[in-house]
Amino acid sequence: MNLPGHSPALRCSKLDYRYPLGVGAASGVAGKDEYGPLALKSIDLEVARGEMVVLAGLSGSGKTTLLRAACGLVPHFHGGYISGALEVAGHDVRHHGPAELATEVGLVAQDPESQVVSTTVLAELRLPLELRGAREGEVARAVEEIALALGIDHLLDRQTGTLSGGELQRVALAAAMVTRPALLLLDEATSQLDPVAAEGLIWALRRLNEEFGVAVICCEHRLERCLEGADRAIAMRSGRIAFDGDPDDFLEWSLDEEPDLATPGAHALRAVGSRAVVSRRKARQALAGACSLDSPDRSTVASGASDPSAAQVQTALSIRAVEVSLGQGGGEVEALRGLDMELLQGERVALMGANGAGKTTLLRLAAELIESSEGRVVRGERGVAMLPQRPADMIVRERVGDELPGVAGHAALRAVGLEGFEDADPRDLSGGERQRLAVALVIAGRSEADDPLPSALLLDEPTRGMDRGRKADLAGLATEISGRGCAVLIATHDVEFAAGFADRVVLLARGRVIADGAVREVLSSGLHFATEVSRLTDGAALMPEDLLPTHDRSSSPTAPEGLR
Amino acid sequence: MSDSRQQALAAFAFTPGASPLHRAHPAVAAAPLVALGVVALAAGSPLVIASAGVSAWVLGWACGAKPAMSQALRFSIPLAILMIVVNGLISHAGATVLFRAPEIPVIGGTITLESLAAGGVIALRVISVALLFAVWSACVDPDRVLAALRPVARHSALTATLVSRLVPVAAADFSRLKEGVDLRGPAAAPVGKAELARRVVAGSLDRSVEVAATLELRGHSLRPSRRNSTGEALRNVAGDGLWPLVSGCAVAVAVGFLLGAGFARFESYPEVAMEVSWQALLLTAAIPLLTLLSLVPWGLGARRWNR
Repeated sequence: MNLPGHSPALRCSKLDYRYPLGVGAASGVAGKDEYGPLALKSIDLEVARGEMVVLAGLSGSGKTTLLRAACGLVPHFHGGYISGALEVAGHDVRHHGPAELATEVGLVAQDPESQVVSTTVLAELRLPLELRGAREGEVARAVEEIALALGIDHLLDRQTGTLSGGELQRVALAAAMVTRPALLLLDEATSQLDPVAAEGLIWALRRLNEEFGVAVICCEHRLERCLEGADRAIAMRSGRIAFDGDPDDFLEWSLDEEPDLATPGAHALRAVGSRAVVSRRKARQALAGACSLDSPDRSTVASGASDPSAAQVQTALSIRAVEVSLGQGGGEVEALRGLDMELLQGERVALMGANGAGKTTLLRLAAELIESSEGRVVRGERGVAMLPQRPADMIVRERVGDELPGVAGHAALRAVGLEGFEDADPRDLSGGERQRLAVALVIAGRSEADDPLPSALLLDEPTRGMDRGRKADLAGLATEISGRGCAVLIATHDVEFAAGFADRVVLLARGRVIADGAVREVLSSGLHFATEVSRLTDGAALMPEDLLPTHDRSSSPTAPEGLR
Repeated sequence: MSDSRQQALAAFAFTPGASPLHRAHPAVAAAPLVALGVVALAAGSPLVIASAGVSAWVLGWACGAKPAMSQALRFSIPLAILMIVVNGLISHAGATVLFRAPEIPVIGGTITLESLAAGGVIALRVISVALLFAVWSACVDPDRVLAALRPVARHSALTATLVSRLVPVAAADFSRLKEGVDLRGPAAAPVGKAELARRVVAGSLDRSVEVAATLELRGHSLRPSRRNSTGEALRNVAGDGLWPLVSGCAVAVAVGFLLGAGFARFESYPEVAMEVSWQALLLTAAIPLLTLLSLVPWGLGARRWNR
């Protein structure tokens, strides 16, 4: 696809890379002992101009490092030891730093807050052009065009500090695109976005790719979002390229070799004995007829609203007619408007809705971080605990036992399965273990009983940046906790996670509850808030397991159900 | 977290406005602030140091930085008091004994008027510098600081980020971390202010590194083009009007006067001795007066400028 006289957007040959272990190792003159293990191993890769590539891999497989190398941050900014060849649009990365490469490559990373360097959106979009010495007319035109293309023209005069995560992410994409680079790198760029905004972003990328010929390397955990528009899929495993080829072949490969990478649609097609394909039209055809299989009725699973024994179950959290206004951008925004909701003990509920719908505000209100101007919140006798978006923010000390001292601390660790970890350094724990530690920190001492679990545990967007394996761990923990009588409410944008974990889904819009019911009822009929399998089967099935013959469901390698 | 704490840090963040400090090129805006800082740090007389602090307050009040300065006082006054107490306990020099404490290693012994006065001078310096920092932070656009730093810090995106973005990054981090502390269960180990501050500093520095990486990717270290570098920068500086120049020059003259003439002396030890001559009083009054006068051509009052 390369034009005559144009070098590929990205070319790697025998590329090895190690991060530095400590300060001083970045000079490049230190011995190999001062560097960590190989983060990239013998990478051979060529991405043509105008190509759209999906980069898949479990957490820690080397995806982010490869993207950092492709924009020059590795090794120029992060230091470390690099060998082999790496060229971006013909520029040798060893001799050209990120700024020089920035004329050819743009990067959008996972955390939008770290990608904003200016105080207003307009200044943020102007900056890359001004740094290149563009004339005022060129700057104004380019800013206007990219803002219109990404639908952020109404944000241009806003202060960046007043934007939501989703808005910030689109601004970051616009800032990366405003110079019209040959290669655009996206590292989990949709992880903060609701399903509507994420699909909007993917469509915008496809338009940039098709109309302007921008090569795109899109790294995602929810591959179902972007595989259909991709020319090619690459999978990484332990720093190596494990697969490089056609997206349809990738799905088949992932089902056999790395099931956590396969999309729910691919699992569904495998369940009915069809070959996995990314084309939704073909997948729908293949699944048509298969949906007459006896799918389990998930509408009756332990939903407090529908369970006749609910009257016997105590209320964990009751929210009645609450009104909350928040200061935003110099004005007041009504975040919750007469909202009603009830959680029963032992329920697992997913709280969903677009960015800005009021999910986090609702959790913060329930956790007593903010107060309502109207209405009433009643908490169960063991109180409510909340885990914020970044569990790492909860951890302050360098020893687990110092964070949770005494008998109550020990009980909290035992409650989340971290008994025996008292002497560990939290930094040495895996991502899942750190999350468990954070849960232990928020529940510690909530009850004087042996089991310290509160009446309700609230988790705010806990699945950001998680691969399917870690999501399954989290769902397992939530299921275990709810089984001991604690209601678990998780705010999430991840429809598949919600369908796999929850008994009930509450959908918010503009500060109100617009849907509240069993999983199948809420997630099988929507355009955006619907699982991939539900969309492919017109709501006949919700998850791949629903398509398995009944006798196979119990032996499905899903633990817990529906997450893989 | 309590919204009051969040607002406390948010008060330091830049707020757009149209005051002379807001409109000035950062280098020009820095001139009076740096000059007042030099006065506060170099002068020995508490009268002169206080006059620098008062000047900072006048400048900030007129340019709409009152919330930031109020927060600066909230943070710096307890620190200042602590300095007076510590100096009183540790330094036993001075002829005027106020109190004879029991003999305890390091802090035991006499507490003298002179040691308290010396601590008071340091405290005044801390308050004055905190006020100047608050005025800078609230009135000088970090985007323009970033642009102004580029010619001199082209190869250090991290330095540029720390200078221009550390306050908003720290404010956001503090807000998140404090919320995390508030959400801890009753049996989790409590987190003290010092531990929280350590996490905020460490976290902010980490995130500053990430922001610096973004700045690199935007092209920060590209060689400035001829079109919008030196010439444009000079035009920007020249186009800021007379006030900052006058203000900067006035304070600079005050500094020169102060240092060259050698009056307004103050000695803490062996006995407190402060020169209160007419020249010293004139100098003390002249610094805030000149700052105030320099604002007159624009009309006083942030409300009008920031409309």
